[in-house]
Amino acid sequence: MVAEKTTNEMYQVGKSIPKVDAREKVLGRAQYIAELTRPNMLFGAMLQSPYAHARIIAYDTTAAEKVTGVKCVLTGDDFEDHKMGPFIKDEGAIAKGKVRYMGEPVACVAAEDEETARAAALLINVEYEELPTVLSPEAALEAGAAVLHEDLADYFKVFEAIAENNLMSYTEISEGDVDKAWDECDLIVENVYETQAQNHLSLEPCGALAEVEPDGLINLWSANQSVFRVQANVCECLGLPMSRVRSMTPKVGAGFGNKMEAHIQPLCVALALATKRPVKMILSREEDFETVRARHPFKIRCKTGVKKDGTFVAREVELLLDGGAFADDSPGVLGNATLMSVGPYHFPHAKAFGKVAYTNHLRFAAFRGFGNPQVTFAGEAQINDIADKLGIDPIDLRLKNVLAKGQQWFGGQKVDSNGIYECLEKVRVSSDWDNKRKNSGENGIGISVAGHISGLLATGAIVRMLEDGTFVLNTGATDIGQGSDTVLTQICAEALQIPIDRIRTATPDTDASPYNWGTTASRVTYTTGRAVVGAAEDAVRQIKDYAAIVLESLADDLELREGGMVGIKGANKEVSFFEIAAMTHWGVGGPIVGSHTLVFDQSTIDPKRAVAKGMPFTNIGVFTFAAMVSEVAINQVTGKASAEGAWYAVDVGQAINPGLVEGQIDGGYAQGLGYALFEEMIWDDGRLANPTLMDYKVPGTAEVPYDIDTTIVEHPEPDGPFGAKGVGEITLVTVPASICNAITHASGVRLRKMPFSPERVLNGIIENEIT
Amino acid sequence: MGETISLNLNGEVREAKAGLTTTLLEVIRDQLGLTGAKKGCNQGVCGACTVSIDGKLARACLSLAVNSVGREITTNEGLTEDGEPSALQQSFIDNGAVQCGFCTSGMIVSSHALLQDIPNPSIDEVRDGLSGNVCRCSGYRKIIDAVRGVARG
Amino acid sequence: MTEAGYFDPVSVDEVVALLAADDEAKCVAGGASLVAMMNARLVEPSRLVSLRHVEELKKIETAEDGWLQIGALVRHCDVAIADELADGNQILSQAASLIANPVIRDMGTIGGSVGHFDPAADYPVALSALGAEIEIASEKGRRRIPVSNFFVDWYETALEPGDLITCIRVPPPPTGSTGIYEKLAKVKGDLGIAMVAVIMAMQGDAVSHLAVSVGGCGPKPIRLPEAEQALIGGSIDEAAIQDLVGKLSTASDPVDDVRASAAYRKLLIPRLVAQAIGQAKVNLRDGS
Repeated sequence: MVAEKTTNEMYQVGKSIPKVDAREKVLGRAQYIAELTRPNMLFGAMLQSPYAHARIIAYDTTAAEKVTGVKCVLTGDDFEDHKMGPFIKDEGAIAKGKVRYMGEPVACVAAEDEETARAAALLINVEYEELPTVLSPEAALEAGAAVLHEDLADYFKVFEAIAENNLMSYTEISEGDVDKAWDECDLIVENVYETQAQNHLSLEPCGALAEVEPDGLINLWSANQSVFRVQANVCECLGLPMSRVRSMTPKVGAGFGNKMEAHIQPLCVALALATKRPVKMILSREEDFETVRARHPFKIRCKTGVKKDGTFVAREVELLLDGGAFADDSPGVLGNATLMSVGPYHFPHAKAFGKVAYTNHLRFAAFRGFGNPQVTFAGEAQINDIADKLGIDPIDLRLKNVLAKGQQWFGGQKVDSNGIYECLEKVRVSSDWDNKRKNSGENGIGISVAGHISGLLATGAIVRMLEDGTFVLNTGATDIGQGSDTVLTQICAEALQIPIDRIRTATPDTDASPYNWGTTASRVTYTTGRAVVGAAEDAVRQIKDYAAIVLESLADDLELREGGMVGIKGANKEVSFFEIAAMTHWGVGGPIVGSHTLVFDQSTIDPKRAVAKGMPFTNIGVFTFAAMVSEVAINQVTGKASAEGAWYAVDVGQAINPGLVEGQIDGGYAQGLGYALFEEMIWDDGRLANPTLMDYKVPGTAEVPYDIDTTIVEHPEPDGPFGAKGVGEITLVTVPASICNAITHASGVRLRKMPFSPERVLNGIIENEIT
Repeated sequence: MGETISLNLNGEVREAKAGLTTTLLEVIRDQLGLTGAKKGCNQGVCGACTVSIDGKLARACLSLAVNSVGREITTNEGLTEDGEPSALQQSFIDNGAVQCGFCTSGMIVSSHALLQDIPNPSIDEVRDGLSGNVCRCSGYRKIIDAVRGVARG
Repeated sequence: MTEAGYFDPVSVDEVVALLAADDEAKCVAGGASLVAMMNARLVEPSRLVSLRHVEELKKIETAEDGWLQIGALVRHCDVAIADELADGNQILSQAASLIANPVIRDMGTIGGSVGHFDPAADYPVALSALGAEIEIASEKGRRRIPVSNFFVDWYETALEPGDLITCIRVPPPPTGSTGIYEKLAKVKGDLGIAMVAVIMAMQGDAVSHLAVSVGGCGPKPIRLPEAEQALIGGSIDEAAIQDLVGKLSTASDPVDDVRASAAYRKLLIPRLVAQAIGQAKVNLRDGS
């Protein structure tokens, strides 16, 4: 590490500086995909399938092609049979041969303006032969169910997937001997929990703009969380070499997972290739709802056995996920959910296993928490039931069983930074838990804890010194609004000991940026931050080498001084970055470029300790922790639960920018609150019944309480940048469980199905009145 | 596509083409280069396209361009001071009220109107005033702080 | 100077003449309902008649017969603060204040909302309890239709091609009455899962006026005048309330939709109505 200073000694780290892009955004000048334009640009639109499962018999595009202004109509027949997918390559750019969900793109049009393109798309006639549908994972896995992917066995898979018929993936992890352990338990509780589909509702709908240069090179801008995943997906499903596609990003109007893998980019590129003109496609809100992706509905059987004194003995969790029509990130979500099923606890015996099935819904995929909010809801609700049965305070029961320092995560990975115990103690105090728990007034409070991962895969950084001694930082990490450009700039500035305004953050561009898997998995601060520190250290080494020449000293005797100076330790003699930049650009050596790349390599599973099957990843990340208390009020007439407050303590290792950490806590809370109380994508047969903001409601100012108390806990991650680890997802993971537990405290009603609608609460209240 | 109309936009007279069904949002974004207002739902729910028309808040996506002729239209860009952030806009920066930024222009227009009515709003008054503007990133707390922060100076 | 098909009349007579000339013509007021439907391509009018310069439609005034006439163009934000709506009639202001959000309330008009008639909207249930009338102009002249006949079925009103809603007519409030408007919605400003409007007056311990309307639980607002009438003169005790709410629940015909199930609405109606009547009694007792 460059610096071993504590927070209050650090120069740029630990300061809540404003986001580097805040100014252009408040002025209304930030450019998102919908604002981009190219000369001679066309607009694309698509036709969507009216059936959930059907064979495509024939296309008739003549009426659409005759429309004035239409330049091109493409159907599945115009696409070769290439497939993309992060885990299982099962998805084409467009439906070909058959449609697998209602709303799936079946044809597309490029025209001189958007209105013409949209009107023309509706004139394309497609003849279908309807097929039987499978609209739940249970139905999909029944013998004789209609099969979505007849060629599943032949698809390329990036891991040893256990897949057959509509079974997309099976994962299992076990430690100890659960089957024998039940005999040791004094109390065993077993329940089934259900969760619903949630839409990301990034306020910016997905869109893309593609153009083909005369030499055949393709420039592609899109709303995304990874220019590199966009590049890979487009090239895979269109059969293009990656060297032909340059993927870039304008400002992104939030991600949350829906913009990580491809959405409309392949169609947009196909239209640009066919027309040889730039083509822009922006999805309507309805199209975004119907075609992009959503959070998986889960069915969870959770069984926990404990000793009379509250000591946890065994847990078994069985999962069944609706994966939708294409695999996308589903195997990963199942794998992570399996890994998170035990929570941040020590269970001597644990087993988690589950299936994800193909169904005729849109693909379910990555969404803030990646399968963890669902299993945390089940596990944390059940732990409260156990606490009630044992007569132990829910926080005391957790304190007794959370992972102690030195204990490993389920599966065997070591946990270096573990602030879970402190998180619990902090929220107990901040929420006034002991008093509120005793006073059973109208409001109820509930606790939940979680661990989550931060990390995964490869990343890089380049720190390049400019002619005047200022720098460009290039990481390829897309800032989706959460503030990674700012955080990475602070990390870089700390490592170089220079002011923020001497660093410009480059925009992600696959031509120019080092590889970055993406802005996902709570990973940018931790993994990319590590790469930035490494690249800055590389630059500093070079700077010191040149400074040694100027100062007639040894590099080892030199130190960085704040503000862009290198000096001799213990002496006043120093040289500025400005002088070193001038020297290297015009005279000696060559301009300074520091770089570093890494791939996260800590093993998730320790085979000496755990048995795992069907794991979709081998090295998932380090661990972050949170505890939260929620307060709710219940309307006894209607059953409506409303949030009254929340108290968080989150272990982030080291807050690079505490203000931005708070922003992640507040935002994760609000999104989790909607998920817990009312957000739900509802299907009527195969049709999504509420694909609009009129009918799919998200929390507004009235639903989110102002009183969100945030405590940042800092247990430094040894290899994190200045000790930091991620915070993006953990803040949502704990919300449904804490609200569920608060509802129970307020009303005596235990809900095991999300969302916690007025109807479910009221039915519970009435049931309790009767019994 | 339509005939020429003339709009009073941010204190200037601007000409644009508009058909019968062309919305004000399409005109200001696609023709007049004012892209702070966003198309988040095109249904009047999300609030990202909020502008002010004759001193009243309006959804640009639900306002027909032809029906906006002769009215005073103000967008977030019109609230800047010579292209520099106004006190309210600066307060959004200083309070960390901006994440992805997609809702920001609409939020600022609504907040501006709120502060005209209630110069020193309480937390609940800000929550009421902004109840028609969706933000998916922030949880609203820092936005509320930004609005109240400018009121307090 | 403007788009062909766009008209900007100043009088009701001009408006109805324009509507009579083209069956596909649509009036545009605030735009909150119409433009959203145009954006979704649910309607594609050939002719738009802007009402923005028709001054007659912007007034709130008391007619010779004592009824309050609220012009069709009066915005929700102004209905919400209309001093003319007193006593039990304040339910119309309460309903207006719960529509959508401040921006939509600044845009949307009472005539537009009533004419659009979403059964989950706020005005219909309040107007039903008020016993209001809708005044309509057409080439044939003006007519008034009681709301009980105006709201016909799901999204269907008594409006015919060429009709323009000119005003909403509200009878004077019963002396000493109070009004309660309750709405349960998923989130603030959403269309309601269920709504209840109650107008009540008492003389001593006896009920002298009672109107109860339930919304969001069938194709149109539910009112049971006979059941209400049966309670007049009585003390509206718990048994009487239970009798009424049971009848309302039986009369309701809710459906499962994206906001809630029919079963929940059936469960909710007695609870919401009983609560509203209870609140009305408290108000009357406290003289508020």
